[in-house]
Amino acid sequence: MHQTPPTPSTIVDLVKVSKTYHPDTQALVDISLNVCQGEILFLTGVSGAGKTTLLRLISHIERPTKGMIEVAGIDLGKLPRNKIHLLRRKVGTAYQDFKLLSDRTVADNIAIAMEVIYRPSSHIEQRTRTLLDQLDLATKYNTRAGDLSRGEQQRVAIARAVANNPEIVLADEPTGNLDAETTARVMELFYQLNRQGTTLLIATHDRSLFADTGHRVIELRSGKIKSTVNRSLKNISEPTEEVHTVQESEQ
Amino acid sequence: MRFVYVVLRQTCRNMLHSWKSQCMTLLTVSLSVLIFSFFFLIYSNALHIGEKLGDDLRLIVYLDEEAAPPLQEEYRHKILKFDQVDRIEFVSSQQAYKRFEHMLGDNTDVLTGVPTDFLPPSIEVYPVRTLDSLSRITRFSDYLQTLPGVLKVQYGKEWIDRFYAFIQLMRVIIILSGALLIMTTTFMVAHTIRLSLVSRQQELELLRLVGATNNYIRTPFLFEGALQGCIGASCGIGALLALFNWITLRFAGPETISQLPFIFFNWPIVCAIIGISTLLCTFGSLSAIRRFLHL
Repeated sequence: MHQTPPTPSTIVDLVKVSKTYHPDTQALVDISLNVCQGEILFLTGVSGAGKTTLLRLISHIERPTKGMIEVAGIDLGKLPRNKIHLLRRKVGTAYQDFKLLSDRTVADNIAIAMEVIYRPSSHIEQRTRTLLDQLDLATKYNTRAGDLSRGEQQRVAIARAVANNPEIVLADEPTGNLDAETTARVMELFYQLNRQGTTLLIATHDRSLFADTGHRVIELRSGKIKSTVNRSLKNISEPTEEVHTVQESEQ
Repeated sequence: MRFVYVVLRQTCRNMLHSWKSQCMTLLTVSLSVLIFSFFFLIYSNALHIGEKLGDDLRLIVYLDEEAAPPLQEEYRHKILKFDQVDRIEFVSSQQAYKRFEHMLGDNTDVLTGVPTDFLPPSIEVYPVRTLDSLSRITRFSDYLQTLPGVLKVQYGKEWIDRFYAFIQLMRVIIILSGALLIMTTTFMVAHTIRLSLVSRQQELELLRLVGATNNYIRTPFLFEGALQGCIGASCGIGALLALFNWITLRFAGPETISQLPFIFFNWPIVCAIIGISTLLCTFGSLSAIRRFLHL
């Protein structure tokens, strides 16, 4: 299979990436994928299809069994452990399990992402309030994260992921616990970020999120790309290994 | 500057989060420093007192006959060959007689008819007042005894031996209390930091995920160890100062202790004790970080 070299605007590039968990569970098999800067890409598929694994590989929480991953110009295979923060500062991730500190306030949970890059306190407070306002959580500023509902926790996790305006946002089931109105708010926040140039990779079961949006949708099944909905063609291309051609057809 | 502020805030947060174990660690470090510095204070005062009392410390080498200047030079050369000394004085029979006469005061009439050269000439050797010198004084005496023309060598053997034994005992105690200090500070701090690391495991993982550098994660724990050492040692030294003042006020009768020049540590020694404790605790913290914080 031939591989096209990453275009200059490619921000996420996966080449024949596989991930096998001990002893022999294949989570991803020979995935090749590139995502352009400023693109919104939806990853869909049934549970266990490999969506979360793919996001974890991109954020370098896990390493691939084989293959090459390049994110924002960083070759993750050559990234030493003491430089991982350089990647993580470019990639904001909203985790499926939220990863909130339940004994800290909502504000603390969001602020932590900005504190690690030494943002001034005034900026942190202002940004936190803005995000909470956008996500309809303004009244929860000083509430302990552990006291929030699942849906509220999910929004706090999203707020933390986008707080630093990262180059890439990875969202794993970001609307899984939300009602329609809140989902719309979250998606509006994502689109707003995207308009500012942020690349979004959203893993979701919820087809309403990407229906009629015109954004690229990749369906995973058993660790392989089953189909790709092309933005320009709006159809399902099969087989899926020719994912890179989607970019070409878009151009 | 921002880094320092963030580190300080994180450190304070850590310490408040586990204040009970922090208090225990501070107490242990304080007690260890107190025990060590208490014995060290006794030791340093003993040395100081030894120096004062040592003004009278000398070896008197009695000679069978008066030493002429060339012979004096030869004696001086041989003495210096064995060890460095503070000074060497040659006392003739006449000088010894005059001293004796002076000592008798109003009772000089007992010397009537006694020849002025009845006392033997001597060499008074004043050793350097160091512990090493004191420890070698018996050998020094034996050596002087072997010099030609020497009748007898006298010195305050009993006093020196007791003093030296006391100093040796203090040295052992200081080494033991120093070892206690090292063990408690490093182990207690390491243990506290380990507890802190374990209790904040989730937060540390999150910090990594949101892009914190290794230094951002590590430094507050190192700083926590250093603070424990610094505060604990300061409390220990403060307690010792209070104890010292209390003892000198309550037990210093005019006849006994007030006659002896008891002094507290000077500032460089206080700073050194606090500095070393701080370093030890930082080391304890570092060892815990290396073992339990997998970055």
